[in-house]
Amino acid sequence: MKNIGIIKLLVVIFMTNIIESYIAPMLIKAYINIPITFLIFSFVIYKSTFNTNALYAFLFGLYVDLISDSPIGLNAALFSMMAYVVNSYANTFKLFSFIQICLFFSGSSVFYIGFSHLFINLENFSYLILFTSFIFNTFLFLLMAMLRFYFPSLNLK
Amino acid sequence: MSRVAPTPRSKVLYFFCIALSSFLLYLDINYKSFESTKNLYKSFTISSSYLLKRLTIDPLNYIFEISKEKSKLIEENKKLKKELDNSFIANFIISRDSKFFADDSAIKRFINLNNINKPFHLAKMNSFDLEKYLCCSEHRMFIKIFYDEDIDFVGSPVINSQGIIGQIIYDKSIAEVLLLTDISHVMPIISKNHFCNAKGSGKPGVITCTYSKLIWPDPLEIGQEFFSSGMGGIYPNNILIGNVSAINIIDDNNINFDVNLVADPLQSIYVGVVEGL
Repeated sequence: MKNIGIIKLLVVIFMTNIIESYIAPMLIKAYINIPITFLIFSFVIYKSTFNTNALYAFLFGLYVDLISDSPIGLNAALFSMMAYVVNSYANTFKLFSFIQICLFFSGSSVFYIGFSHLFINLENFSYLILFTSFIFNTFLFLLMAMLRFYFPSLNLK
Repeated sequence: MSRVAPTPRSKVLYFFCIALSSFLLYLDINYKSFESTKNLYKSFTISSSYLLKRLTIDPLNYIFEISKEKSKLIEENKKLKKELDNSFIANFIISRDSKFFADDSAIKRFINLNNINKPFHLAKMNSFDLEKYLCCSEHRMFIKIFYDEDIDFVGSPVINSQGIIGQIIYDKSIAEVLLLTDISHVMPIISKNHFCNAKGSGKPGVITCTYSKLIWPDPLEIGQEFFSSGMGGIYPNNILIGNVSAINIIDDNNINFDVNLVADPLQSIYVGVVEGL
């Protein structure tokens, strides 16, 4: 997963966006939202061995805006913010435990959901969705982090 | 290997990118500046998915079909013939063009029942973002209208067999339908002597209305029926829109209520587009 190529990442994000569009309508009934596309991008820049360029994050955000039918600029801004935060604290993350990393990513995903809902769903803004998504995402990431201990072959290179 | 923290120069670039994104977001939300680009992309994806299906799945299906045994084909043919006869009995419309087998009898029934004199054209749902419909405020549907002549359907009401579902706001190769529940949609509705401008709530199947008791002193009841008033010049009048489902008192004079729509846009993939009133 380290230093994935641009074309590969474009395809991965495109596929993830399709998967997200199928999963989201089912999860929203349980007040859960998992921004898979955003998380995949965040994970890629987190695992990268070099700093991500701001323009790289910005253009990927624009690409996601286009394919996901979000307002243009929404994902571009959020991807750029995430890239900045991950790059700024890249070395600090090495001191973090898995639980702290999981909490960071679920916190980021909740920030993403909250921020995007301010623009696309302000009339029905729901704190319940934010809360349940935070709990669900945290447990989901913890489960995924623990999988590598039980199934070492799944370890992402 | 350690990663270096962003330098002041790269911080400026990050700031610039975030500022530019915010500017683009402002332009898109306030002025819909990128609507044509988005519609172009949607048209492209829908067309290419059709093309891909035609180039990949359809030939494979054909090869699979011709590889079947003759007897199996005859049996299949008989079965299809029987189904075709049944569909004739059930008043299914068999057209000469692409709306083959599309059932518009239910929509015709609705049109006749509500005395709508304008002609209507059958359309098929091409794309519907269920994720946005269930989670967010923007409720849109993309349809393909089965009509060859070059008519601009912008502003035409869209109906299904249950009632009005929205109006066309963009019509090029694919028409975009603004559903009644979209927060940017406003529709005048009426019940007895009561009039109100109903706004889309952003929730599936619910529109909302606010009125003042000073101009509308009569009490409102749960279940009270609301009809289209026809005053907006878009929708025909006297069509049942929905029933009052919740009443919220804002203050001493203002009351807000929700109307549960009778027409569900997901009820059928076929809808009718009534020519502009």
